[in-house]
Amino acid sequence: MLVVVTGISHKTASLELRERLALDEAAALRVAQELLDGGAACEALALSTCNRTELYTYAGDSPAARQAAIAVLARHAGADVRELESSLYSYSGDGAIAHLFRVTSSLDSMVIGEAQIVAQVKAAYQQACEGGCTSVVFNRLFRHALEVGKRVRTETAIGERPVSVSSAAVELALQVFGKFKDHTVLIVGAGETSELTATHLKAHGIESILVTNRTFAAARELAHRVGGRAVPFEDLEAHVAAADIVISSTSAPHYVITRERVERALRRRRHRPIFFIDIAVPRDLDPEIDRVRNAYLYDIDDLQHVVEQNRGEREKEAHHAERIVEEELRSVNDWLRSLEVVPTIATLRESVEKIRRAELERLGGKLGDLSDEQRAQVDMLTASIVNKILHLPTVKMKEVAGSQECYLYVAAVRTLFDLSGNGAAPRSGGGAAADDAATDASGAETTGTADPPGATVHHLRGAGTDNA
Amino acid sequence: MEHASVIFLWIAYLLYAGAFAIFVVQFLTKSPALTRVGLVVAAAGLAFQTLTIVFRGFSAGHVPFVGAYESLVMVAWSIALVWHVLESFTRMRAVGLYVLPVVLILLTVAWVDYKPPVQLVPALRSDIVILHVIVMLTAIGCLYVAGGAGIIYLIEEALLRRRKAGGVLGRLPSLGALEKLMYHATLVGLPFLTAGMLAGIIRAETYNVPSWWVDPMVLLALFAWALYALLLWGRMRADWVGGRIAWLAIAGLVVLLVIRFAAVPYLSGFHTYGG
Repeated sequence: MLVVVTGISHKTASLELRERLALDEAAALRVAQELLDGGAACEALALSTCNRTELYTYAGDSPAARQAAIAVLARHAGADVRELESSLYSYSGDGAIAHLFRVTSSLDSMVIGEAQIVAQVKAAYQQACEGGCTSVVFNRLFRHALEVGKRVRTETAIGERPVSVSSAAVELALQVFGKFKDHTVLIVGAGETSELTATHLKAHGIESILVTNRTFAAARELAHRVGGRAVPFEDLEAHVAAADIVISSTSAPHYVITRERVERALRRRRHRPIFFIDIAVPRDLDPEIDRVRNAYLYDIDDLQHVVEQNRGEREKEAHHAERIVEEELRSVNDWLRSLEVVPTIATLRESVEKIRRAELERLGGKLGDLSDEQRAQVDMLTASIVNKILHLPTVKMKEVAGSQECYLYVAAVRTLFDLSGNGAAPRSGGGAAADDAATDASGAETTGTADPPGATVHHLRGAGTDNA
Repeated sequence: MEHASVIFLWIAYLLYAGAFAIFVVQFLTKSPALTRVGLVVAAAGLAFQTLTIVFRGFSAGHVPFVGAYESLVMVAWSIALVWHVLESFTRMRAVGLYVLPVVLILLTVAWVDYKPPVQLVPALRSDIVILHVIVMLTAIGCLYVAGGAGIIYLIEEALLRRRKAGGVLGRLPSLGALEKLMYHATLVGLPFLTAGMLAGIIRAETYNVPSWWVDPMVLLALFAWALYALLLWGRMRADWVGGRIAWLAIAGLVVLLVIRFAAVPYLSGFHTYGG
């Protein structure tokens, strides 16, 4: 049994193809269910964000699972399988789990360190879980993946430094002012980046936003959108004097604010510092402004430069994150291995034998009267009882060993007999899921093995939901 | 007693060094949890240094401010104390990284000059002298911190102007916070400096120290006082912001260092007990 992932991402596919393969919530669930119903997988989950569409499956036959996933994707996109082939990637086993961990840690994202992916994976998992497409393995695996994502964010600085122009501008302003309390921002000219920057500033606590533009109507419109106040362009100098942060992005061919104006404005505001951000090309703000005491000027190139540096930092942090992924991969592997039949039988026998020996020893004093021969007979008797009891489960487990859903039996046995075995003990959530899975698995057996494996797993869904 | 005092000093030294190492790691990894750990370790260092001073006081039989060893341990202690008080009020990032080396250097210099405790010479056996010393130490602690903040301010401003924001963002306290720190530290430090100088003058007058007012150390102290007064006046009345305040805080710090390491040991006619 292996975890298999098949999909496309911004690294392999054009935006156009990604758009065609994108799945909304309902479609994602439908795709996962189709995979289960087709019998190619025991558990399935579809993850679709603007940068990727991936199908995760837990299956016995990984090439078959891959083919099924491709077919489902192609059908959904209304495309030909051959058309998709070149943009697809597929990993199985360790590779697939490592990929999932890298995705949740934002290591595979377009912008390394971006924070949204954890929530997106979480939503996809919850949906699949509620829709009955996940079970023992995915319930555990995806929760683990979310924890890896969280761990990477807390233990590395991967998401610390801003990597967009607008957030870098906010970060720089914060470095000058400390925190925003009664600060005012002035937006000169209405551009997309200045709007975005204003929104960021607002999120960081700036309440007073002034907007000015040569056409007053445009100023009023933007002011309305960002929750600010439109002010007439003619009094620009007075507004600069009132502002702590000035963001300029007009289409004027010449400097809108000159050094002299800034000097006068600073005198008016008793030399409290002003942070100027010039996003316009050609520039709106006289570069000389940066030479004025207590005036700081960053233009678009400067901001890009900061963004570049921060990207570099994030890539450095990504190395730490890769190490965390490797570490977590090992721990999840230990657990997956414990779901194999043969070691589980061995562990079960060992644990029962241990009980038998302990009981014999406890009785040791009372058996004092027995001769050695009698003693050997008691030993044989107990051993044969144990063997008889374990015989049937052992045979049954070997029988299902080849089937897709065997891991569910294993999980059940491990839970019922409390065998931690060679893997880590199941966590509270995982353990409970395995518990429920066990009930359903035995139910499936009594109703006969005619049920396709997909259907069996389908039953188990309700189990996972309670634990989600 | 003296043994215990020295052992406590070594423990304090190790704790400060450990806290410094933690702050360095914090600076590199930016893990917020480490800041708290560093602060706790440094606070433990401060506690042990306090014990050092208390035990030294018992073994000497007086407040330990005589000689280079005692006075430098006191100065380091007051800096660490001021830092902790400011930290708990302002919650500024990464300041420990700059304060702790200063404390460690002062303690190292103190240790090199270690001498066993001595009896107070009669001239120093006076309440007003002890008052003078304690008040001065508080002032020095505050003003050193103000000077340190001034240095960081100028470095950070230069980095921002040269577009080297990468080394600054999220790693140094903001310019606004540093400015506030300089201002507040001076606001507390200057009254103490004034009181300390007054206590010294009263002492000199009552003891009839000959022409104390032309002593180089006294003149330098007056100069430092004028610098800090100018700083506060500029900040409060003349809208001086940022850079100018930083330069004044640094100038004041330089004068204080000259007093401590040049004037007191070599130039001053009567104020040689600290050397």
